[in-house]
Amino acid sequence: MFWRILKKDLKRKRTMNLILLMFVILCSMFAAASSNNIAAVIGGIEHYFDIADMPDVLVTMDADSDEDKKIEALPGIKEIKTDSSFYIFSSKSFRLHGKKLDNFINPASFIADDEMAINYFDSGNDIIKDVEKGTFYSTTTFTEGLDIKEGDKVEINVDGFSYTLEYKGIFKGAYIQNGTSCLPYLLVDCEDMKCIRDGIKEQGPSYKSMYIKTDDPQAILDYADESDSVFAATRDEQKSIFIFDMMVAYIMMAISIIIMLAAFVVLRFTVGFTIQEEYREIGVMKALGLSNTRIRSLYIVKYLAIAVVGTAIGLVCSLPLSRVMLGAISRNMVIGSENGVVLGIVCSVCVVAIIMLFCYFCTRKVKKLSPLDAVRSGQTGERFRKKSLISIGRSKLPAPLFLALNDVLSAPKQYLLITAVFTLCVLMMNVMATSAVTLKSPKLMRFFCAAESEITILDTELIKDELTVPGGYQITLDKTAKLLDELGIDAKYSTGFSSQASVTHGDKTSTRIFLTAVRGTQRFELQCDEGSAPQKTDEVALTGYALDDLDAKIGDRITADLNGKKHEFIITGRFSTYMGGGYAAYVSDDFDMSGALANGVTGVQIKLNGDPDEKTVSDTIKKLSEKLESDKVFTAEDSVKMMTQASDPINAIKKLDMILTVILTSLIILLMERSFISKEKSEIALMKAVGIQSRSIILQHVLRFVIVSVIACIIASAAVLPISSSLLSGVSSVIGDVRGIDVDYSTVEVFVICPAILLAVTTIGAFITALHTKRITASDTASIE
Amino acid sequence: MNTVLQAKGICKTYIVNKRQNNVLKNIDLTVSEGEMVAVMGPSGSGKSTLLYCVSGMDRVTSGEVVFNGKSTSKLRESELAQLRLDEMGFIFQQMYMMKNLSVLDNIILPAVSSKKNTESRKQSEERGRALMHRLGIDSVGGNDINEVSGGQLQRACICRSMINSPKIIFADEPTGSLNRASSDEVMNELLSLNRDGTTVMCVTHDPKVAAKCSRVLYLVDGNIIGEKEMGHFGGTEKELRDRERDLNNWLMEQGW
Repeated sequence: MFWRILKKDLKRKRTMNLILLMFVILCSMFAAASSNNIAAVIGGIEHYFDIADMPDVLVTMDADSDEDKKIEALPGIKEIKTDSSFYIFSSKSFRLHGKKLDNFINPASFIADDEMAINYFDSGNDIIKDVEKGTFYSTTTFTEGLDIKEGDKVEINVDGFSYTLEYKGIFKGAYIQNGTSCLPYLLVDCEDMKCIRDGIKEQGPSYKSMYIKTDDPQAILDYADESDSVFAATRDEQKSIFIFDMMVAYIMMAISIIIMLAAFVVLRFTVGFTIQEEYREIGVMKALGLSNTRIRSLYIVKYLAIAVVGTAIGLVCSLPLSRVMLGAISRNMVIGSENGVVLGIVCSVCVVAIIMLFCYFCTRKVKKLSPLDAVRSGQTGERFRKKSLISIGRSKLPAPLFLALNDVLSAPKQYLLITAVFTLCVLMMNVMATSAVTLKSPKLMRFFCAAESEITILDTELIKDELTVPGGYQITLDKTAKLLDELGIDAKYSTGFSSQASVTHGDKTSTRIFLTAVRGTQRFELQCDEGSAPQKTDEVALTGYALDDLDAKIGDRITADLNGKKHEFIITGRFSTYMGGGYAAYVSDDFDMSGALANGVTGVQIKLNGDPDEKTVSDTIKKLSEKLESDKVFTAEDSVKMMTQASDPINAIKKLDMILTVILTSLIILLMERSFISKEKSEIALMKAVGIQSRSIILQHVLRFVIVSVIACIIASAAVLPISSSLLSGVSSVIGDVRGIDVDYSTVEVFVICPAILLAVTTIGAFITALHTKRITASDTASIE
Repeated sequence: MNTVLQAKGICKTYIVNKRQNNVLKNIDLTVSEGEMVAVMGPSGSGKSTLLYCVSGMDRVTSGEVVFNGKSTSKLRESELAQLRLDEMGFIFQQMYMMKNLSVLDNIILPAVSSKKNTESRKQSEERGRALMHRLGIDSVGGNDINEVSGGQLQRACICRSMINSPKIIFADEPTGSLNRASSDEVMNELLSLNRDGTTVMCVTHDPKVAAKCSRVLYLVDGNIIGEKEMGHFGGTEKELRDRERDLNNWLMEQGW
């Protein structure tokens, strides 16, 4: 009998059971995919570094330096591998299909396959053992924006020397950062490497890297602190290069958690709803004398069956979803939980357990109900909720809107939760839209120590001297002056650059502080968060991170060793910057930087005289591009986008989030509205019987969700700026040392498009689902239970 | 007297599991203005289906229903709904009400939903209160629907059915779930409305309820097999007893 009741129930209450099944699928799908994502993210870099066999310390020095011998003698050293880098400075030295490349800014670095000090991975995440002669692998920075496929020939052409290599695919290296402003790497056969080295006469500075496994990393760091030409980074410090990838991963994780929570909230309601529907039958069974345990077990078995089937389907569906979620970050890293399926099964079991817990608490009321209470559908006849807050007689609202509003106010808990879920959905889209806009805002130029400008030139031919010749910035400035003169462009210009120095305060020494300066005819007005900008040659402003690193404060004296020459400075202020990862010191305009070899440059900033309009700027960019034969001439906005590197990935996640929001909201609307229709069948039939039009009933149902969506949009719009500000401050403090970032946003996107997406989805979703009310007819009043 | 409602050879057939179930078979019926008609018959005879078909809540399979001189068979769903809202009132055995509205708001909901109604919300509310006062439930207007008794709720349903001043009230076993005292109160209200000129057609199992009606139809297997003219009920206890005895005898003859 027990099984017959169960079978009949599953068949008769097909709609509600199907709704419940859908939610279980949704919930377990997101729970499994999210947990896999979370596990992959949390242990992601460590896992990647382990399989890449990353050393404890990575040391870089000039190729002809003999410091490596001294390092080898340091205590605790277990293993040392060495490779020597070789650079080709301009992207234009490479040709694909006969056309010069113009897609990367920094010098291309070559690695020979016989010097692979760590494990490198191909696109399929397999370890590359060697490279076939005549072929090469490259990082994504090299191929970004190129129409290149496996088997394509790339020609290297430098000063009359020509060499052709066949493209084999991308490769990933655990210490290699990817992005337009990063170094592109090429992994080649050792014989090819020798040919290229021998063929190119004029070579820039070359470096060698030591990959050291040691029991005493501090000994190497101490040695590097004392040396002027050795730079050391620990394994943990190397992890920071994946900051953007991890940021993307954490955003995806946040999205996953929100979606999972939303699914659980709705699931809780659906279980509650379906059990409420059963009260009458529970009453009958109680009246017949069935025990509470027997009655509860009937429902618990039913929900267990639905939960098991739902989670099994959800688990299968979670696999592609998980791949999509991790796909956003696995391009540059070897990431992925090896225990993905096991974790998914564990999650599915948890989902079943949570559903059973919901079911247990929802059916607990069975014990308290008398047969009579249950027959009265759980209503005791006593007041159990507040009176209606609004009255139709005193309201001027049209009847459907009044009824919708009254429904929302009558079940505040239920609609508040839907509002909270919708608010989170809009807020996620809004925060990401705001972040993407802020991270390409020209307002951020100052945080890169780039002077106010309309145009930025990042052409390697123009700026390579800054990176290869001490004091090379002057060559860049001279070239720029000539270029502007030839093109008749009336403008001021400048270039910002930084040079790594050894800085000492008392007994504290730091080798990771970058002395930063801006030179040219356009002045850079440094804004200090505290104190004042340096005015004299012996004055300097430091970032908060640099001050902390040196244990110094404004007014203290520091000594900087720049290219073997010591300089004394007094700290005049604290400023914010992304330069040098936030470890920077800004020197005055008059400080002599002629001996400095830049480690990082801002490119050339052009400030057009007068008040140029958009067309003038774009015409000037076109002229400069043609003259330089380069696409590396950008507007201020595009250049900031390139420098932060975060705008485009966030934009990509925003789009993915929009798709997920649309899917999630549609499902919530569909399933909740179907639940409402099922629950309110008697009321709908009654309304139809007394002559209320079907369209009014549909409108009432749609308006309930519209009201909730409007409230969600208002809350999200009010919260977006403070939340974005805190989030961006957090992100900025990771990328550099930037405090008090001004949030920039597109009014249309944040206050119109994102809310419009939610409103459109809820309206269309609710309308389509509410059409189901048409199937309830006035005569159904005769068959209502 | 004018004819309010006319059914011409109406049939209603349901197809269940490919089997044809003829619930109403070629029924002819005329209800005149001011009449109070009771439809009686054994369970499953088609009483409620007849009520739903003639009131436009359900479509007939064949035949024609004429309401107020206008055929309803060809009307669209929205037109039928408009007709029900403006010209008809409904009372059901279960006191169906909107759970989220107060008793008064439930009563005036059809008024505020009607396009024909040109009065203000306040006027509708006052009219709703007046109807509640007339039926003796004015004290529960602001109450939740689960705060009032079954009898009060059914009287509220009568108020709702009256709010748009319908030409006819259809009642499907209006006293079916009430005790005797509440049942008498509700029937007296319906009688009172009928005396004021409202036509009433009600389905009932209860001879005591039917005895208060001016005409009784007896339905068996989808056919009207008997019809009894009772005349208007004067209102005294003795008359009621006589009418009830007379009706019971007639029902026995019909096979009740």
